[in-house]
Amino acid sequence: MILVHIALRNLLSHKVKSSIVGGLLVFGTILVVLGQSLLGSLDRSMSTSIVNSMSGHVQVYSKDAKDPLALFGGMGGGNEIGHIENFPKIRKAIEALPEVAAVVPMGIDQAIVFGGNILDVKLEQLRAAEKAKDRNRIRILRAHVRRIVGMLESELKNLKGFTDESRMSEDMRSGLRDLPQATSDTFWNSFDADPLSHLELLENKIAKLAIGEDMFFLRYIGTDTERFRKVFDRFEMVDGTPIPPGQRGFLFNKLTYEEQVKHKTARRLDKMKDRMAEGFAIAKDEELQQAIKLNRAQYKEITYQLDDDAADLVRVAMQTELGSKEPALEKLVDAFMNMDDANFARRYKVFYDAVAPNLRLYSIKVGDTMTINGMTQSGYSTSVNVKVYGTFRFRSLDRSALAGSANITDLMTYRDLFGFMTADKQAEIQQLQKASGVKAVTRENAEADLFGGSGGEEVTDTTGVTPTDAPADATPAAVAAGTPPPDNARTFAASLQQRVYSPTEIDGGIVRNAAIMLKPGADERKAIQEIKDINDRENLGLKVVDWREASGIVGQFVGVIYAVLATSILVIFIVALVIMNNSMVMATMERTREIGTMRAIGAQRSEILKMFIVEALVMAAVFGSIGCVLAGTVVTWLGQIGIVARNDFMIFLFAGPRLYPFLSLTHIVVAFFVVFLVTLISTLYPALLATRITPLAAMQDAE
Amino acid sequence: MNQTSSIVRLQQVDKDYYLGKVVVPALRGIDLDIAAGEFTVIAGPSGSGKTTLLNLIGCVDVCTRGNVSVDGHDTAKLTERELTRLRLERLGFIFQSFNLVGVLDAFQNVEFPLLLQRKLNKAERRERVMDLLKAVGIDNHSHHRPNELSGGQRQRVAIARALVTQPRIVLADEPTANLDSATGNAIVDLMEKLNGEGTTFLFSTHDPRVVGRAGRVVRMVDGRIVPPGAETAAPQPLHA
Repeated sequence: MILVHIALRNLLSHKVKSSIVGGLLVFGTILVVLGQSLLGSLDRSMSTSIVNSMSGHVQVYSKDAKDPLALFGGMGGGNEIGHIENFPKIRKAIEALPEVAAVVPMGIDQAIVFGGNILDVKLEQLRAAEKAKDRNRIRILRAHVRRIVGMLESELKNLKGFTDESRMSEDMRSGLRDLPQATSDTFWNSFDADPLSHLELLENKIAKLAIGEDMFFLRYIGTDTERFRKVFDRFEMVDGTPIPPGQRGFLFNKLTYEEQVKHKTARRLDKMKDRMAEGFAIAKDEELQQAIKLNRAQYKEITYQLDDDAADLVRVAMQTELGSKEPALEKLVDAFMNMDDANFARRYKVFYDAVAPNLRLYSIKVGDTMTINGMTQSGYSTSVNVKVYGTFRFRSLDRSALAGSANITDLMTYRDLFGFMTADKQAEIQQLQKASGVKAVTRENAEADLFGGSGGEEVTDTTGVTPTDAPADATPAAVAAGTPPPDNARTFAASLQQRVYSPTEIDGGIVRNAAIMLKPGADERKAIQEIKDINDRENLGLKVVDWREASGIVGQFVGVIYAVLATSILVIFIVALVIMNNSMVMATMERTREIGTMRAIGAQRSEILKMFIVEALVMAAVFGSIGCVLAGTVVTWLGQIGIVARNDFMIFLFAGPRLYPFLSLTHIVVAFFVVFLVTLISTLYPALLATRITPLAAMQDAE
Repeated sequence: MNQTSSIVRLQQVDKDYYLGKVVVPALRGIDLDIAAGEFTVIAGPSGSGKTTLLNLIGCVDVCTRGNVSVDGHDTAKLTERELTRLRLERLGFIFQSFNLVGVLDAFQNVEFPLLLQRKLNKAERRERVMDLLKAVGIDNHSHHRPNELSGGQRQRVAIARALVTQPRIVLADEPTANLDSATGNAIVDLMEKLNGEGTTFLFSTHDPRVVGRAGRVVRMVDGRIVPPGAETAAPQPLHA
């Protein structure tokens, strides 16, 4: 007791020492508590983002994987994660565990989609109109195509001076040769007489000159769409309807849809609006100025899409807005897009009221059937037609590019694209073979090719799905190359869109990984151990990873920050240690006579040591508490107002636009532990010095 | 050779200090017996070895040659721990500059040795401390810290602290040197009174007025004890 008393009194009487040491300890404690709290909250919010949007708490994939599973993309970009062949068994075994709520099969891949350039689209519409003999529509479309070809010619004329014709592709050169014919009055006057041959020239020669503007990459998760929707509570439909249970279909992530599929100028205007809402001004912000520059340069994105009637409407709207009598649409669009802070809001409205209705605002619309061009595992291209049912978002992550790049399709489409041959695909191939007379590689040979002859029996065929990564030779390639498939194949493809697959069919095929969602409040670590146990016991052949590991670099982000924070805390405490050690050595020197006196009147060395340790503990307790209270206040305050996410990535990390940090007892305990440790270590040397002080020190000034 | 009657006995004690390689003799051939109940003054000029002698008796230092026996223990044969224990149990110290623990009040300073001893409970300690504070006339200042007390009051607290463990002998090194003469006299009065109650005192001083009041005077010059009756003789230089 007396030692605690002496310790407290010493703290008060050595003000300079106390304030230096105390300041360091308080600062260190705040750092420890705050850091832990922020990281803890970050970990929790990230887990909300990742776990409830697509990873589940645990992911399993084949133990034969060459690359680690990286749901959001990894460092190497490798995708050799093997595949799971016995999903029904795995699902049954894992769903039997008390902690597990659901197991969702998955496969993640990328593909290319061509939106088609505007000339292609219009020619296709014109061909359809000719077929339907819709006179009025033919007139409008023909005029529009002529407009586009005309604009194309004047554009290429400007270009001619700059480019060396000998370096152009053959397509380009032949297109250029035919261009004068396609713009001539004779060509258009004779159109009605033989529309089909005229269309052919335009389609085969001229369309190639217009560079395809709408090609984009899509990342998608092939999954049991119905179960996905139920298990991941962040999933939310935006437009359209969910894919009907058991059917094929595609859902765009709203962000991907806006970024990739929307008309580029419209998208840029949207983003400008968002950015200006955040307080940026065109006059000062380079990003906004850049967007304006692009909008002006890309006036064709608008002018090409307008037919004569639409062009008149847009011209009038722009002339009114600009107060101009300029007749040339290109100049009007350029002037219109040259916006400033004062007129942006008004022109944005004019754009959506008068211009956008005349544009193809989205190159793929909800309800359309689109062609996804995938690359199979072995490098062959495949393409699959799939209906777009709608768009969805992951709740509160709508602006995050990481969460926004994941689109969703059904497992059947996924397997087709990835080259796991489904029964449907085989039937289709047979149809095509019959029609085209191509002889394909036999199934047996294909399997031997892939599995080295041993894999065939592993995959039971009872589900009617055979995993074959066979190139299927020329057939799918022919489809991909755009050769119009025979009519019976087309009907077959259409019938696939209507087909409802049974749960056995959906689960029965190959999947690449599976998300395991635990029940609320389940102990993650314990559950992982149980899954690992059952994996070993039942020989499921799985690799079991938690969501952090599964999400690749993103998941390890918290770990990285933690390491950085821990290092900086370490550095700060080492500095604190040195300073504290120094100031305590000084204080010990000052107390030499006091300690000598204590020794003279009978205090043992051990008691002097004890006194120093008690002083260290008291100091740690006092300043640790102050630090904890301050840090606690800051965390509570931040927990109420939230930390604002400044970019897409932060939105993803924060699982929303703001992070609300929380405090837990562990944070305090750890902070105290660290502070006590540091204080004790820094006391060690001065305490040792103090025990060396002899009782003679008490007498020193006596003579 | 009556060991029991004398608390302190020094026989042919030499003490050397070392300044680098130079040997500085501080004490030479000291023979001294202190019996219980004595009130002894060690007198002599500065540098005559008074403090060194007290340090040896106080078990704070050990002699170079000879034999120092305190309460029947040969100090040369004791370990550091045992010497500390001996100081705690058998000796009381009074210092020239009082040497109170600045962060403790008067009561706590006096109580401190008892806490080290761990023999008495709280109530017993309180009774013992308050009795002593009363005896030295400081009982109404028991909650003052040293910097709130005058020099004389501080020395009274120090005396109480020296007596609180009921030591066999109290050693005081120039206890009045930092006090004005009136206060110094009062302190000597107090020690005389306590001596009358049975406490053995041994203190050093070069103040002639204090020397005059001692029961026994040991005179020192240049590290030697001047034999009684030779006071008037010229001091013999150590290095002849």
